[in-house]
Amino acid sequence: MELTFQQLVFYGFSTLLLLSALMVILSRNSVKAVMFLVLCFVATSGLWMLLQAEFLAVALVLVYVGAVMVLFLFVVMMLDIDIAARRHGFTKLLPLALLVAIAFLFILHWLVGDNHFGLEQMEAPSDHDASYSNIRELGKMLYTDYFYPFELAAVILLVAMVAAISLTFRGKRSRKSQDIDKQVRVTKADRLRVIKMESSSSSQQTDSKSDEESNENKDKEQDK
Amino acid sequence: MIGLSDYLFVAAILFAISVAGIIINRKNVITLLMCIELMLLSVNINFIAFSRYLDDLQGQIFVFFILTVAAAEAAIGLAILVALFRNRSTIDVEELNQLKG
Amino acid sequence: MLENYLPILVFIMLGLGLGVGLELVGFILGKNKPDDAKNSPFECGFDAFEDSRSKFDVRFYLVAILFIIFDLEIAFLFPWAVVFNELGWFGVTTMAVFLALLVVGFIYEWKKGALEWE
Repeated sequence: MELTFQQLVFYGFSTLLLLSALMVILSRNSVKAVMFLVLCFVATSGLWMLLQAEFLAVALVLVYVGAVMVLFLFVVMMLDIDIAARRHGFTKLLPLALLVAIAFLFILHWLVGDNHFGLEQMEAPSDHDASYSNIRELGKMLYTDYFYPFELAAVILLVAMVAAISLTFRGKRSRKSQDIDKQVRVTKADRLRVIKMESSSSSQQTDSKSDEESNENKDKEQDK
Repeated sequence: MIGLSDYLFVAAILFAISVAGIIINRKNVITLLMCIELMLLSVNINFIAFSRYLDDLQGQIFVFFILTVAAAEAAIGLAILVALFRNRSTIDVEELNQLKG
Repeated sequence: MLENYLPILVFIMLGLGLGVGLELVGFILGKNKPDDAKNSPFECGFDAFEDSRSKFDVRFYLVAILFIIFDLEIAFLFPWAVVFNELGWFGVTTMAVFLALLVVGFIYEWKKGALEWE
C-alpha cells in the first residue's frame, strides 16, 4: 500500500492523539494528565488542519491550550490532593471499563466504518482554490444567519463568569496588615490637630453659657 | 486518500477511551472533567469531518459554539469543584453521598 | 492550501525530534546509579518541613476565568474583523451587543472586588 504524505501526517497525528488520550485516563498524577490533554488538543488541531478547518484549528490552540488548560492546571494545583490514596479500586474497575470501551468501539465501527462512510460512498472533496478563505466564509455565516446564537453565546459566557465568581469568591479579605504606602504618605495634618481655645480668664464673656463655664472654673479654683 | 470513515473511526476510538476513563477514574472529579472534554473533542472531530466531506460550513459554526459552551462548562465545573473541595475537602465522587436517604 | 502550513509541520517535527533526541541521548549515555541518599529530599541538611507542592490562591482562578472569557471574545472578533466591510451596520450592532454583554460581566467582577490583589 502506497502512503501519501497527507496519509502519513493523518496517521501521525491520530496516533499521537489516541496515545495521549490513553495517558490522560491512565496517569496517576493530575498535572501529567492535564499536560497529556494539552497534547491531545494539539494533535486534534493538526487533524482539523488536514480537514481544512483552518480557523477552528487555530482557535482550538488559542482557546483550549491557551486558556482552558491553564484553568485546569490552576485548579489541580489549588487543590491539595493525595495522589496515592485515590487510586483505590482502579484494577477492580479496569475489566468493566475495557468491556464497555470495546463494546462501544464495535458498535461505532459498525456504524461509521467503510461500509457506510468509505471513500466509495463519499468521495474526498476537491481542494478549494487559492482565493478561498475559511475565516471569511465562516464570518459571513456566523454574523448574518447565526447572529442570534452568537448573542446567546455572549449570554452563556456572562452566566459562566458570574457563576464562577459567585461560587469561588468569598469577598475581600479583612486582614489587619500594615499598609506601608499609607504609613509613608502620612503628613502632619493627618495626625496633629491644632485647636484654638479661648482661655477663660482673659476673654470677655458675652453670652450666658460662657459665663456659667467661667463660674465653674472659678469654683474649681476656689476648691483648690 | 483519507476517507471520512477514517476520521470518524479516530473520533470513535477517542470517545471509547474517554468512556473507559470515566469508568476507571471514579475517584477524581478533575479527571472526569478532562474525560468530558475529550468526549466533546471527539464530537467536534466528527462535526468538522462531516463539514469537510459534505462541503457545508455549518458544521464548523456548530463546532465554534460547542467550543464556547465547553469553555463555559469547564469554568463552572471547576468552580463547583473548588467550592466542593472547600466544603468537604475531598473530590472523590463516591464520598459525595450526603443526599442518600 | 495545506502546503502553506508545511513550515509549521517541519517546525513541530524538528522540535519533537530535538527534544526527544536530546532526552534519549542523555538517558543512554549518562551514568545513573541512584541510592537512598541521592533520592531523598534534601533541604540544607535537615529533613524537608513540608511538601514542595503548595496550594495556589483562589484569586489566580478568578483571573484565569476572566482570561478564558476574553480569549473567546477575541476568537469571535477575528472572523468579524475579516468580514467587517461586507456586514455593514448590522455587523457593528451585533458585535456591540455581544461586547456589551461581556462588559456587564466585567463590571460585575470589578465591582465585586474579585480583581483586587492587596
